[in-house]
Amino acid sequence: MSNVIEARGLTKRYKNTVAVDHIDLQIPPGRIVGLIGPNGAGKTTALKAILGLANYDGELSVLGKNPAKDRAALMEDVCFIADVAVLPRWIRVSQLIELTENIHPKFSREKCLAYLASTKITLDHKVKQLSKGMVVQLHLAIVMAIDVKLLVLDEPTLGLDILFRKQFYTNLLNDYFDEERTIIITTHQVEEIEHILSDLIFIQDGRIALDCSMEKVQENYVELIVAPDYAAAARELKPLYERELFGRHIFLYENANRQQLKELGELHTPSVADLFVATMSGGAA
Amino acid sequence: MSRLIALVKREFWENKGAFRTTPLVIGGIYIVLTLMFLITFNHFDNEFQSLKELSRWLSQTDPTLRGQIIYGANVAALPGLFNIVLSFVVFFYLLGSLYDDRKDRSILFWKSLPASDTLTLGSKLLSAMVLAPFIFWAIYVLTYIVIMLIFSVVVLSLGENPWTLFLGIGSPFKAWGMLLLSYLAQSIWALPLYGWLMLVSSFAPRIPLLFAILPPVVVAVLQIWIEFLQTFTLKKNLFGVIGEWFANSPFISFVSTDGSDKPVATLGIPLSGTFNHEATVGNILDRLFSVHMLIGLAVAAVFLGTALWLRRRATES
Repeated sequence: MSNVIEARGLTKRYKNTVAVDHIDLQIPPGRIVGLIGPNGAGKTTALKAILGLANYDGELSVLGKNPAKDRAALMEDVCFIADVAVLPRWIRVSQLIELTENIHPKFSREKCLAYLASTKITLDHKVKQLSKGMVVQLHLAIVMAIDVKLLVLDEPTLGLDILFRKQFYTNLLNDYFDEERTIIITTHQVEEIEHILSDLIFIQDGRIALDCSMEKVQENYVELIVAPDYAAAARELKPLYERELFGRHIFLYENANRQQLKELGELHTPSVADLFVATMSGGAA
Repeated sequence: MSRLIALVKREFWENKGAFRTTPLVIGGIYIVLTLMFLITFNHFDNEFQSLKELSRWLSQTDPTLRGQIIYGANVAALPGLFNIVLSFVVFFYLLGSLYDDRKDRSILFWKSLPASDTLTLGSKLLSAMVLAPFIFWAIYVLTYIVIMLIFSVVVLSLGENPWTLFLGIGSPFKAWGMLLLSYLAQSIWALPLYGWLMLVSSFAPRIPLLFAILPPVVVAVLQIWIEFLQTFTLKKNLFGVIGEWFANSPFISFVSTDGSDKPVATLGIPLSGTFNHEATVGNILDRLFSVHMLIGLAVAAVFLGTALWLRRRATES
C-alpha cells in the first residue's frame, strides 16, 4: 500500500530562520506516530505543511494530494485537532453537528451523538458554556465520527487534567484506530502516549533526529543500571547518555551487546522520555 | 451548493443578533410608536374626533395622488431607519468577517473542514449582499403590514373604509419589489466598499475599523493638501470620489429633484448628472450596466482577490 505521507526535502523558511530543514518522511497507513520534539523544533510547522495550512519548499504528498494546492479536497480524508479549544465559541453543539454533517461527506451523526451521550455535553450547549475539557471531548466526538484516513493531533490534551487525558487516548485507541487509519500525535506528555504508539519520530532544530518503529526502539536501545563501582566499565562501552539516580548510574546504549552489559548490572527497556532526552543531548556528544 | 448553503447558514447563526434581532427591534419600534401615537391621539382627542375628520377629509382627496404619496412613503420614507441600520450592520459584519476567527483561532477549525477558502469568502460576501438585505426587507414588509392592519382597525371603527382610503391604493407589492430590487442593486454597487472591508478584515492585526478608515483618510488629506498647494483651490480627491460614488448609488430613498433640474440628495448634497435619479427599474439597471459599475467591479475584484490570497495564508505563522 502506498504511503499516507511522503515528504522529500520538506523545508519551511521564515524570514531569518529555517523552521523545517530538508525533512524526508514516509508514513505508511495503519500507524500511530508520535512526533516528539522540544519547543520550537518545527513539529507544528511540519504539521501545518502536511495539513495545507502553510506553504513550503520541497516535495510533499499526503494521500496522493498536494496539500498546498488541494487543502479542501484533502480535508475530506484528513482531520486535525490543532491545539485545544479552537472551536468557535459562539456556536451551539447542535449547530456544529449540523454544519459538519452538511460540509463533511464522511461524517456520521449517529456516531457523534453516541460519543456525546457518554459526556455531560448536551445539544443545547454553546461552546463558550463548556469547560476546556468538555470542548476537547466535543471536538474529539466530531472528529471520531468522521471516517478519514489520517488524523493529526497537535497537542490535543494541552492543559487538561490527567483523567481527561487518559480517557482521550483510551477512546482514540479503542473506538477509532484500525489498520487503515493513521494517527499522528505531538505532545509533551510522552509517557502518556508511548504505549499506544507504533512509530516514533524525534525532531530537533527542524531535522529528524530519530525515525523508527517502537519494536525497533525495544530492539536497538537498552538501558543499563549499575552500581557506582561499575560506572567506569559501563562508560567504556560508549553509552549514548548517562545519568545518575539515587547514587546509581544509568546508561543508555544503542545496538549494544546485551550479554556484555548484563554482567555489569540490570537491563531495562528505556522509556521514550529517556530516549528523547538522550537523543536531544546526544546531538552534542 | 449544499456546502455553500451550510456556510451561509453558519454566518446567519453567528450573526443572528445583527441580521435578525436588529431589524425585529426596528420593526418593533415602528409598531410601538404607531400605537403610542394612536393612544396619545385618543387621550387628548375624545374618541378620535379629529382623526375621524381627517379620514373623512382624506377620503375626499384624489385617490391617484393619495396612492402616489402612499407608494412614495412605502418605498422611500418608511424604510429609512431599516436602510441606515442595514448599512451599518453590513459594514461591521464585513469588517469582522475574516478577522474574528483569526483572533479567536477558530480559523484552525474552519480550515479543518473540506470547504475551500474561495467558498468561505463567497459565503460571507453572499451573506452581506443578499442574506442581510433580504431579512431586513422581509421584516420591513411585515412591519408595514402590521401598521396598516392597526390603522385599518382604527379607521374601520371610525366608520370609514380602509380599503378605498389607503389599503387598496399605493401598489404595495410594486413598492416592496422596488425596495428589494434597490437593496440588491445597492449590494452590487457597493462591491468596491465590501471588497475593501473584506481585504482589511483579512490582514488587520487588530482594530480593523482603524485599518479600514485610516488609509483613505490619509490619501484624501494628502490629495487635498497637494492640490491646495498647487492651485489654491479644492478639487476632486478620494473623499470626493467616494462621496460621489455613493451619491450615485441605485438606492432609491433620499433623492429628490428639488424643483430644479439637478437632483439633490438628503441635506441638499448635489448629485452628478451622469445618472437619472428617478426611482425606476430602468434607472437602477442603467447604473448596474454602466462603465462606472465596470470600473467598480474591477476595483472590487482586486480587493477580493487580495483578501482571498491573504486568507489562504492566514495560518502561516
